[in-house]
Amino acid sequence: MSALLAIEDLSVSYGVVPAVRNVSLEIEKGELRVILGANGAGKTTILKALLGLLRAKSGRIAFEGGQDLLQLKPHEIHRLGIAWVPEGRQLWNTLTVLDNLRLGGFGDMDKAAVERRIKEMLERFPRLGERRHQVAGSLSGGEQQMVAIARALVAAPKLLLMDEPSLGLAPLVVRDVFALVEEINGMGISILMVEQNAHQALRVASWVYLLENGEIVESGPAREIGSKERVREVFLGGHA
Amino acid sequence: MDLFLQQLANGLVIGSTYAVVAIGFALAFTVLRVINFAHPDIFMVGMFAGLLAGVQTPWLGFLVTLVAGAVGAGAVGFALERGVIAPLRGRDVLMTLIGTLGVGIILQNGMAVIVGPDPVAYPALIPRRFVDIGPVSLTMRQLANFAVCLLLLTGVSFYVRGTTWGRATRAIAERPEVAAAFGVNVARICQFTILLASMMAGLAAVSVGVLYGSAHAFIGLLYGLKAFICMLVAGNRYFEGVMVVGLAIGVIEALVTGYLSSSLRDAAAFFILIGVLYFRPNGLFGSYAS
Repeated sequence: MSALLAIEDLSVSYGVVPAVRNVSLEIEKGELRVILGANGAGKTTILKALLGLLRAKSGRIAFEGGQDLLQLKPHEIHRLGIAWVPEGRQLWNTLTVLDNLRLGGFGDMDKAAVERRIKEMLERFPRLGERRHQVAGSLSGGEQQMVAIARALVAAPKLLLMDEPSLGLAPLVVRDVFALVEEINGMGISILMVEQNAHQALRVASWVYLLENGEIVESGPAREIGSKERVREVFLGGHA
Repeated sequence: MDLFLQQLANGLVIGSTYAVVAIGFALAFTVLRVINFAHPDIFMVGMFAGLLAGVQTPWLGFLVTLVAGAVGAGAVGFALERGVIAPLRGRDVLMTLIGTLGVGIILQNGMAVIVGPDPVAYPALIPRRFVDIGPVSLTMRQLANFAVCLLLLTGVSFYVRGTTWGRATRAIAERPEVAAAFGVNVARICQFTILLASMMAGLAAVSVGVLYGSAHAFIGLLYGLKAFICMLVAGNRYFEGVMVVGLAIGVIEALVTGYLSSSLRDAAAFFILIGVLYFRPNGLFGSYAS
């Protein structure tokens, strides 16, 4: 069986500066895999190359064993069933919560299905339901993260790319966000997450890639990676 | 008081045209990150396209002339997007600025070669009759000009707030990368945005041509300058803000003309611009980060 997503020897540069070097990884259907790395390791660059937002220098990204994503435009990649929860939420702050959710389903021709999913999201997140006519920029950080996740789910993705969903959130909210990540994965949606919060990421992931200076230096089951001295020192503050 | 109301009405008429042209600038700048200096000359092309239709087929009336203006301006706007803006998109903003400025100069001087540098009479498609509304007296042509511009402003406001493509337009204006990742075909929306702005300019231009009874190859300079000031004063965050500033500058100019001197009229917009840039450099209603 071929992987849902298979990245082979991906290299991306910013001008002459290499950001990602020969990265290969894959994710099976229904899995939750995490790329763990410090700031500037190249985590977001991998996701942006996957979304068609950055041009790769070399490599191949196959989705469902099909066409190379590196040859497609971002809106074409989205149509295949890949949605994104960007770092720092990146909502459309001058648009209402409802409009943000509607744009989540922009690429879906079945508008009735989009409206149904929006309704489901507003029921799943009652606080968003109450604030659906409020501009997204006026919400708290936690609420904005809910909108960012709900917006991606309105697209009914097969693969969800999550870029540091815990960034800038209070510890209690982080716990809720990771509970939500597990819930989404439990619905059968595959997730590729990049994170710095190793405690939470190792808890929810089935497989972890460790990224340093644009290269994958370790990979394996979360439990195994979490027990490595290097990971404990760098990401877990010396604690298991 | 009568003078005030009369000048208020006159100002709203002229300001509504500023607002339409300014919206064209603002759409191009917020969505494509392009300062489209050819936009005022697309306005001029629309005016002459309408004139041509009005002269050739005077029996078809004002509405057909409007359509001709929109088609003429839209065609030039579409060609500009395909030929200059799209190939230069993503590069330094100065490159598109210079490219569109060059197209603007070609359009102005090209038209001057064809029709001459002097004003050309516009067909009198609407009677010059006055309509009294209380103490205010406006011509039918002023009312037509205001009605066309008001319809355009209302339409564009509905478009950006109430339609899927309009929401996508605002999404691109705020976060183009995220919009693309959520399935918005950014290139297609950019094409449509320039087409829409150009057609709006063409419609407004025909109503201005009918209002003043003449067309001029260099008329874009006047409207372009004022409209650009409107966009800078309002900031590019809210299209409605640009509309409000367009109307306000028209009214202020009319009041300056009525109460001070017509020679100070054009200076008023620049005084406002200097004040706003000093106290609120991002515009009265704020701007998106570039």
